[in-house]
Amino acid sequence: MNPSTRSPLTWAVHVSVLLLVVLWTMPTAGLLISSLRDKDQLAVSGWWTALATSSRNSVARAPSADSQVERDGKFVISGNFLGGQPGQVSAFGFSSREPAKFKPGETAELNDGERLTVQEDGSFEIVSDKRMEGSRGQRIFFTSATPPRFTLENYGEVLSAEGIGRSFINSLTVAVPSTVIPILIAAFAAYALAWMPFPGRAILLAVVVGLLVVPLQMSLIPLLKLYNGVGAFFGVPAKTYMGIWLAHTGFGLPLAIYLLRNYMAGLPREIMESARVDGASDFDIFVKIILPLSFPALASFAIFQFLWTWNDLLVAIVFLGTGQDQLVLTGRLVNLLGSRGGNWEILTASAFITIVVPLIVFFALQRYLVRGLLAGSVKGG
Amino acid sequence: MKRSFLMGVAALALMAGAANAADLKFKPGEDSKFNWASFEEFKKGHDLKGQTLTIFGPWRGEDEALFKSVYAYFVEATGAEIKYSSSENYEQQIVIDTQAGSPPDVAILPQPGLIADLASKGYLTPLGDETKQWLLDNYAAGQSWVDLSTYNGKDGTAALYAFPYKIDVKSLVWYVPENFEDAGYEVPKTMEELKALTEKIAADGEKPWCIGLGSGGATGWPATDWVEDLMLRTQAPDVYDKWVKNEIPFNDPAVTGALDEFGWFARNDQFVDGGAAAVASTDFRDSPKGLFTSPPKCYLHHQASFIPSFFPEGTVIGEDADFFYMPPYESKKELGNPVLGAGTLALITKDTPAARAFIEFLKTPIAHEVWMAQTSFLTPYKSVNVDIYGNPPLKKQGEILLSATTFRFDGSDLMPGKIGAGAFWTGMVDFVGGKSSADVAADVQKAWDAIK
Repeated sequence: MNPSTRSPLTWAVHVSVLLLVVLWTMPTAGLLISSLRDKDQLAVSGWWTALATSSRNSVARAPSADSQVERDGKFVISGNFLGGQPGQVSAFGFSSREPAKFKPGETAELNDGERLTVQEDGSFEIVSDKRMEGSRGQRIFFTSATPPRFTLENYGEVLSAEGIGRSFINSLTVAVPSTVIPILIAAFAAYALAWMPFPGRAILLAVVVGLLVVPLQMSLIPLLKLYNGVGAFFGVPAKTYMGIWLAHTGFGLPLAIYLLRNYMAGLPREIMESARVDGASDFDIFVKIILPLSFPALASFAIFQFLWTWNDLLVAIVFLGTGQDQLVLTGRLVNLLGSRGGNWEILTASAFITIVVPLIVFFALQRYLVRGLLAGSVKGG
Repeated sequence: MKRSFLMGVAALALMAGAANAADLKFKPGEDSKFNWASFEEFKKGHDLKGQTLTIFGPWRGEDEALFKSVYAYFVEATGAEIKYSSSENYEQQIVIDTQAGSPPDVAILPQPGLIADLASKGYLTPLGDETKQWLLDNYAAGQSWVDLSTYNGKDGTAALYAFPYKIDVKSLVWYVPENFEDAGYEVPKTMEELKALTEKIAADGEKPWCIGLGSGGATGWPATDWVEDLMLRTQAPDVYDKWVKNEIPFNDPAVTGALDEFGWFARNDQFVDGGAAAVASTDFRDSPKGLFTSPPKCYLHHQASFIPSFFPEGTVIGEDADFFYMPPYESKKELGNPVLGAGTLALITKDTPAARAFIEFLKTPIAHEVWMAQTSFLTPYKSVNVDIYGNPPLKKQGEILLSATTFRFDGSDLMPGKIGAGAFWTGMVDFVGGKSSADVAADVQKAWDAIK
């Protein structure tokens, strides 16, 4: 189509798509940028200013009187409160009421006769005629401009100290079997329901479809009770991975069977009939013909189930509990909100680690998602 | 690639396992300030090798590490393994676990209202008369702790179900001493002086208070502490008790009076950082940070003894920040020095030898002293050594607790969950939002009537 003949509507569609894309990706971008920023800078300015030099007011404490040295009959405490990091001091003060009273290089007279000098690079010197005393050092207020700083420290801290690394593995331990097991069962069931005639098949299918409406929230406690009872009979303790795999399998099965059956029922009958003429058993047909042909449907359900189990919090805290060695990522994030609610560098880095696996899964398999969703909707689709 | 990934996973899992083996923070027998005799005695009387004790508690993050340092001594003494877990939504979690029949052995909870509920459904094991006598003998104001720990069971008979462990003192006002020095302010001794100081700071063009009520789903609770504190300072303790049990209606003048006292501080744009509109939306964990900024955003912050966990990293309590006791009114001298507190209570949710042993462990001085020697732990236990407190302010708080003339537990925690952890919270958000105290109190009373 010639661009000049495009109707204004097309443009409106394009612009709104662009707007939607920006709207949807912006939070993720903000999260990523924030998680990479220095925590002090993150605390004072938004992620959209990440590339600008930030100016901030802070307080530093000079070393205590123990560190004073005698020089030319005077007593001196010196140091640098920028700690070797790049930055430039633009003002300083010693009182909370006038935190920016002096310019770098000037000398401020402290209340007890000491003299404080601060240089642009953050080095300072307190000079006194007599020996200084007291256990706490002098507070120095300063305004400094620091260049933007990006770092991976937040991720390091989160992975080691905050237990996110451990929870990452827990989440994988939950999500992978919880995706594979229902698909295995559902594929067999779907084949049987689609191609193996037996009495009551339609009723069975109706029951499975009917199970789709059972609300998960209502069935959690009875199910957990049942599992605990049966588990106690076999000597399996409550709150094990087995429990949550079974739970996710149970909750995922109706949809899986329904989707896969519809897809398999749409496969051409001729293939199966000719295979049977060649002497193939039902198992041969299932493994050699149906499974390879059903790959798009299997993949699309796998994506759904994986994302759901990965992002799940409710089923995990009910069936797996909140112990340190079992807590899943979503649970850990919620706990971090409580204990480290003010530390945005920790929360953003944790959140990004949590979403990175779903992002990878989605981008790697999204072509199956599009194909798989349409599976069975049209003949031969 | 795949193999190296799997090996990495295995190595990580191993490391995580090794990290669980906690070391003892203080070597037994080394520091004579600790009561090591109690530890040795406990060690002799209990051998639980091969058993596992599951504990569910409210502590996460830093507090969890501190609690771990305490139960390491239990592990050392008995040989039992401890599995501790916690959840941000511990109120729901414990209900799910007890109902489904997979409770932890020991649960530690800060909400008497919730405990009463669990006890009435028969999920708790009574701790027995011996523990009751122990509390009477060993805790300061023992009777009030026994009352707090006594609940009606499934059959309606009252019994001691809980063991109070780790107490918070709430009636504290935090400030930065150096900011006070720089500005020439004095620590107030009476409520009248505190109000005068508030007005003076505002007149100097600064903001006196940082108040933040935000706390996710629990938004509003910091304001309930204010109201309870002011209730105890304007009304006799028995009025407070009646209020908590709804024997006087929530919209009684005594209650609306306390609400208005709080309103005097929080609903004045000149008195709070960010203005009254910011009070409800500021997170309670972020709000104390205003004390430490340059220039300071505020000079005073009312919060319980746990709040230093949310001060900026490296803040030294007693030097960089300090507190004073929220003062009583000069004009109401007869009310004495009331102290508002809260705390956590340990319960046996599954009756096992290990769970029993753990309650016995909590009775040893060493179970208190190990945490005291670090930070954010207070105890009314009379025979622990108060010199062990990790820093002077903590010791000061411990002494407030030991010498209180009136001690009252956090009222909102004593009220039924729907009120104390619901209608009261949302009512406070409405109140700082501009609704009148009479309307707010009437709304809460309406909610209370609905659950009766």
